Amino acid sequence: MSMSTTPLTPEIVSQEGNAMVLSMGPQHPSTHGVLQLMLEIEGESVVKADPEIGYLHTGIEKTAENLFWSQAQTVVERMDYLAPSSNAFAYVLAVEKLLGITDRIPVRAQQIRVLQAELTRIASHCVWLGTHGIDLGAISVFFYCFDLRENVLDMQEASGGARMHPNYLRVGGVNGDLPAGYLARLDAFIAKFPGRMRDLRGLLQANPIFQDRTINVGIMSPEEAAQWSLTGPPLRASGVAYDVRRAFPYSGYEQYEFDVPTRTEGDAYARFLVRLDEMEQSLRIIEQVRKQLDIPGPVLIDDTKVVAPPKETIALSMEALIHHFKIVSEGFRVPPGDVYAAVEGPRGELGFYLVSNGENRPYRVRTRPPSLYNLQALKGMAPGNLIADLVVMIGSLDPVFGEVDR
Amino acid sequence: MPSTQTPPIAGAAIDPPSLRPPIDDAEIERVEPSALKARLEALKAQGYTMLLDLGAVDYPERTPRFDVVYHLLKMPVKPASVAEVGTPKRLRVLCGVSGDDTRLPTAMYIWKVADWAEREIFDLFGIVFEGHADLRRIQMPHDWEGYPLRKDYPVRGPARERSPRPAFALKSNVQAGTPPSGRTLEALQEQIKRAREDGKS
Repeated sequence: MSMSTTPLTPEIVSQEGNAMVLSMGPQHPSTHGVLQLMLEIEGESVVKADPEIGYLHTGIEKTAENLFWSQAQTVVERMDYLAPSSNAFAYVLAVEKLLGITDRIPVRAQQIRVLQAELTRIASHCVWLGTHGIDLGAISVFFYCFDLRENVLDMQEASGGARMHPNYLRVGGVNGDLPAGYLARLDAFIAKFPGRMRDLRGLLQANPIFQDRTINVGIMSPEEAAQWSLTGPPLRASGVAYDVRRAFPYSGYEQYEFDVPTRTEGDAYARFLVRLDEMEQSLRIIEQVRKQLDIPGPVLIDDTKVVAPPKETIALSMEALIHHFKIVSEGFRVPPGDVYAAVEGPRGELGFYLVSNGENRPYRVRTRPPSLYNLQALKGMAPGNLIADLVVMIGSLDPVFGEVDR
Repeated sequence: MPSTQTPPIAGAAIDPPSLRPPIDDAEIERVEPSALKARLEALKAQGYTMLLDLGAVDYPERTPRFDVVYHLLKMPVKPASVAEVGTPKRLRVLCGVSGDDTRLPTAMYIWKVADWAEREIFDLFGIVFEGHADLRRIQMPHDWEGYPLRKDYPVRGPARERSPRPAFALKSNVQAGTPPSGRTLEALQEQIKRAREDGKS
């Protein structure tokens, strides 16, 4: 494409007649992070969209190869910073499979993991809904969402010690039991949630402006969705009820009653509805977990080769002291082999392909990042739509750039 | 006979994946690069509608050096309920790639998702996917040299490996023992002493 004589603003890459290549981002407010879109446009409609990613690439997979198995968990948790516990969940499941201790994880630890995963799903969807609303000019929904998310972050802080990256899950269980007063907070959250959901639905679901902006925008047929390997809410909004929690149950998900919400329209509004329904299903799971949490029990596997013995015992037992020293100073070793384990994260199938060569550091940590593949589908969705609809599409795919770029 | 254990490479002394017992819920098979494209096309025709993920692993001491790993999912792509989806089948296809001839046929015309996945492997491992429409770096800057996820690539990058500390830290006109502010311990003690005496008087 030849350069015309029109003076180019920094955003316009090239221009010829009615056609133009426009660079949107990487600082555009609606790109939810740092995403650059190279757009080939004719007037207002998009001919071709090519997302440029990598602005947040921090080499997490490489870093993880140089840390102990337990330390690597802290960096993989930082990929999807809106749902850190989901990342840790997939990672510890994969490591436990390699260690061969999957069947020995205490029941209470599994319940707490499910609780954390569902709470982060709600929190993550809250951020999505709030920012999606802002993108479309609906400011007030943001405050409702972040207020609800705040409750989850408070609970994460209470259990894991940090609001954003609690690192609460451990290979072999979770780090310590739920603190005193946690269940009361959880009860308050469960009581508050339905009313707050009614507010959220009331603000947007029947809103004619919101519907005008989202219905029939960014349509994906099931065939297209499979081609782009969409998972999570975008796939289910196209009608395919694939949910890792149902298809490959883990951590006791098979015992909980919940529906997998689907829609058949496959547009941005369908994705919106699927995510809202999902939040309600998450609460259903949380309610069922809550009933079981009254029964106390161990939360870490009783295996000193993987988990350091309790701190109190090291003054009493020489073996405990040795194990404690070994675990802290050189971590645990994982038998050689490769494994793939996945969870249903808020954005779709979040999997880890791990390779161990028998050492105390992972040989390879390959993530299956749902955000990366969901975002890539924008290439198939965008052509033929207006530039303004791109914003809706990005929002409805809900990418997190820590995970896209890793 | 479908296996849930990674098949070993004939003659390879080092092959960590093949050493574990069958614990996976996926079937696993190995394919030669020459047979890869036909095999993937056949699998797609058999109902493996989704290429879930595409990754690579580097084993510098092994022949072939790289493994490119295809994670496939067999699932109907029509609107389907949970019961209809049931338990989809997972399949893992490993393809060994030689360190001297890092070429593989592209899969982006079988599954569109392979587009970015292959670009990422090209970017981080230097494996060239022949026939890819737009094979360029995706995560690293476009003018980057080297392939970061290879095992012989230093963690902090080659530039920092050559000079362990930043250049400005090596140049110093400050004598050993002198704090960066230039104020010595004696001077600080003197100052504290003066301040105390001022306070008394």
